[in-house]
Amino acid sequence: MNPRKLLRIARWEVTKNAGGVDRRTIVVGALALLTVGIAAPYAATSGVAVDSGIYRVGISEESPYYPVVESDPTFAIREPNADIGEEIDLRIQGLAIQTAPTPKAAAAQTELRSSVRAYNNRQMRQESNQSAAFPVVVSLGYVERTQVREVISTSDRQEPTPDDAGTGDGGDGSDGSDDSGGGDGTGGDTGTADGSGNDGTASGGGGENIGDVAGGAGGVGGIAGQLAGGNTSGTPADISPPFPFQSLVLAFLFVLPLNFIIQAYGSTMLSERLNRRGELLLVAPVSRFDIIGGKTLPYLTAAVGIAAVIAAALEFPAVAPVSVAISVLAVVPIALLFLAATFLGAMFARSFKELTFVTVTVTVSLTTYAFVPAIFTDVGAVALISPLTIVVRNLQGQAIGIGEFAFSLLPPLLTAGVLFGLGAGIYREEDMFTQRSIPLKALDALAARVHGKWSVAAVTAILLPFVFVTELVGVATLFAIPNALSIPTILVVVVVVEELAKSLHVYAGYAHDRFEVGLLPALVVGAFSGLGFFVGEKLTLLAQLVGLPTSVVEGQAALATGTGVPSVPLLIGLLLAPLLLHVVTAAISAVGASRNKRAYAVALVVAMAIHFAYNYTVVTISGLV
Amino acid sequence: MASSDPRVAIARRDLASLSREKTIVLALLIQLFVAAFSSFLVVGLTSLYDPGATASGEVDIGITGEANESLRRAIEETEGADAVVYRGNATAFQGFQNGAVDAVMIATRQPDSRISVQTTAPEGSIRTTLIVVQLREVLQTFERQQRDIRSAFLNNPPVSLPEEVSASPYFGFTYTILLPLLLFLPPFISGSVAVDAITEEIERGTLDLLRVAPVDLVDIVDGKAAAMAALAPVQALLWIVLLSFNGINVSNVPLLLVTVGAMASIVVVVGVTLGLVMGERRSAQLLYSIGVLGLFASAVFLPEHPATTVAKLAVDSATTTTYVLVVVYVAVAVGLYGLARRYTRGLDVESL
Repeated sequence: MNPRKLLRIARWEVTKNAGGVDRRTIVVGALALLTVGIAAPYAATSGVAVDSGIYRVGISEESPYYPVVESDPTFAIREPNADIGEEIDLRIQGLAIQTAPTPKAAAAQTELRSSVRAYNNRQMRQESNQSAAFPVVVSLGYVERTQVREVISTSDRQEPTPDDAGTGDGGDGSDGSDDSGGGDGTGGDTGTADGSGNDGTASGGGGENIGDVAGGAGGVGGIAGQLAGGNTSGTPADISPPFPFQSLVLAFLFVLPLNFIIQAYGSTMLSERLNRRGELLLVAPVSRFDIIGGKTLPYLTAAVGIAAVIAAALEFPAVAPVSVAISVLAVVPIALLFLAATFLGAMFARSFKELTFVTVTVTVSLTTYAFVPAIFTDVGAVALISPLTIVVRNLQGQAIGIGEFAFSLLPPLLTAGVLFGLGAGIYREEDMFTQRSIPLKALDALAARVHGKWSVAAVTAILLPFVFVTELVGVATLFAIPNALSIPTILVVVVVVEELAKSLHVYAGYAHDRFEVGLLPALVVGAFSGLGFFVGEKLTLLAQLVGLPTSVVEGQAALATGTGVPSVPLLIGLLLAPLLLHVVTAAISAVGASRNKRAYAVALVVAMAIHFAYNYTVVTISGLV
Repeated sequence: MASSDPRVAIARRDLASLSREKTIVLALLIQLFVAAFSSFLVVGLTSLYDPGATASGEVDIGITGEANESLRRAIEETEGADAVVYRGNATAFQGFQNGAVDAVMIATRQPDSRISVQTTAPEGSIRTTLIVVQLREVLQTFERQQRDIRSAFLNNPPVSLPEEVSASPYFGFTYTILLPLLLFLPPFISGSVAVDAITEEIERGTLDLLRVAPVDLVDIVDGKAAAMAALAPVQALLWIVLLSFNGINVSNVPLLLVTVGAMASIVVVVGVTLGLVMGERRSAQLLYSIGVLGLFASAVFLPEHPATTVAKLAVDSATTTTYVLVVVYVAVAVGLYGLARRYTRGLDVESL
């Protein structure tokens, strides 16, 4: 890669963009964004609720519930003698509530219940005798239970197993419980000492404590924090569950601009393929990596720039450069992943329409990947799968360790690299300007990297981050179902993904006649693929060393093949067994791949069955099931 | 035969290319994924928030302190919460640490006759949210009981709480978020594909070939737009049928389809026009997505947001405003279509 050539192509990409017709684009786009900018605060302040008026209530003005119903926009007020079930869902006469026999009416009554509570609290604030209006003062603190390890599952029977290692944030809460036990009676000094460096949880003072705890765990500032700020003490209604809602909304701000950037980027990449436009660059004395890098750089710069602006704006006026840098650094892998997936999509797409669908798919799936784990930011280390968790934690003011950083950022970074590499494999005349079928292109992309047995091993190792991310996404989607079900399911996912990763490029190589035909060469190629996988997998051991979550059972299951479960004593056997497994299964599928498509499919299924049997045994022995 | 109309032929050709590329399958899969994802999110979160929705709803609360008797009454009245009385704070926290109880409440009387409740919940667990929600429920019941005792000191006694009924916690979500999402996603994708349909012909230079055929530009654009606009209500109908299989009744289906059709026509016309004006996918597509976002956001200035309109129609709570807005959407769609047609007629194909 030549930096000068790369930068020149990047400059072309930008200047072509800013001149001529596109100035109009910028103006119109800015106007549209301005509309959003004007509408958003309006929507936020005037409280536009999508559910306004969905429940119809027949009520007269004499009823004590009338002001309640009137103040909640969810209800539409109708005549009390209207036809129940047809025109109204609830009929309220005085204090008597009559409901229609529909699920809607039941939902309406539940809604009314919470409206009454909110209304009462508003009314009580007007009372002169505040101690009678709010007779209960609450302080809420969080204390880590060191003797109870919560296994993530829906069953409520937790086995009280000793937690040998501290969790990711290294908190030790045993002192906190002693404090809480001793500091009673004074009214509100819970003094929860959690060692995670979370702000505010250790502060005293009843009312403040609620606000701080809810705010510290529940987002930047926190709605509860604002509410409690007016009172000297908190009331039960001020309690809010530790859900990082605001932080998530803020984190979403980082992902949204990426969707627009990949729109433009995908178009640029695909338009190179139209009418052989890209041919001029291809015949120029630059490498394809210069071209791809140069065309990607402006969009990556834009993504990073926007992320930096957003991060700085969120912390305004107290902008801390280090914290902004951390947020930006965490967004970079996501941005690269978006761009890489779009690039590969643009290389594969046969038309603009198809690219649109690909872009939407990329948007939806990557947003999910970035977003869903971040919801569980406060819950477990598994949330670190998504780099957005780093952003959320950073916004909450928590410290982030190097290990957490690496665990969170490396897999998406490596995956982006693999996607770019695969796309680069078909960044050539034969694939770009012809209507080749998609499976053939996929084989081309893989075969471009395969030349001999050593490159087979290398490609298998390179595909590992992809395997790793796929498995982690599997873990992320499955970690809500009970252990008994989730472990076999995750094992199937692992087996299918790993066997495909070990054999697909071997098949591609055979389809392109890259290898010698015959049983022995096929076995050798397969063995090398298995070796590559084994070596790559040993590297993922590093992932565990740098702080993989200790309490995520499924995480261990995903990595069980050969990462060595400590409870099994035969260490050498444990090292050699997975090597043997990978070599054998890869060799089986390689022999199949050397024949034809059908033989490959059959061999692949056999390899998967062997792999599953092995993994299941390991997991059973180590006592995870 | 209908195929003698060039517009029908072009619409058919565009739809056929979609089905040949099998991308429409991908589009449906994406929508299914979005629906599943958002339902997973909400069902998951609601079951965290709503203790009755999960099997693990029972929360054991260790209580201690001088006012523990009245606190116990509140816990007993709350569904899904159990009280365990401890003699002292130390034993209570021991029970908390070894997992016998999920939370600890210390109730003490204050000099100003209030009751202070110090609550401790476990940190960093997926059950924390559930526990805290249950604790709030208990404390609110407690607050109401204490208010009733002190009602003599209040100028306006609180309004009595309606009875608790078992209702689906997803009811509001289904009609106000999920259904609008499912109904508006197809029009959005249709418009985006309409941009592609136009810009692709321009960028590939195949528009000239179509010109050689005995059709004029207006017919071409009409055909392409019609294909995309027609696709959205069909997908919407599919979702409504799917929802009713899952026991979710959707009222006013014809009107909903008309609304979706009008929305689809509006965004498709916007997309097609942008495609013709820009003549290039990159800027047209970028402007389209920002523009539609802007349109959707600026809809808050309407008396009723389109999402609310759809929700009210589906849940059978429509008002006159709702019906008027549907008529307005149709009128806007027709009007925009007329304008776009006029613009297209004035265009010179050679200049594209």
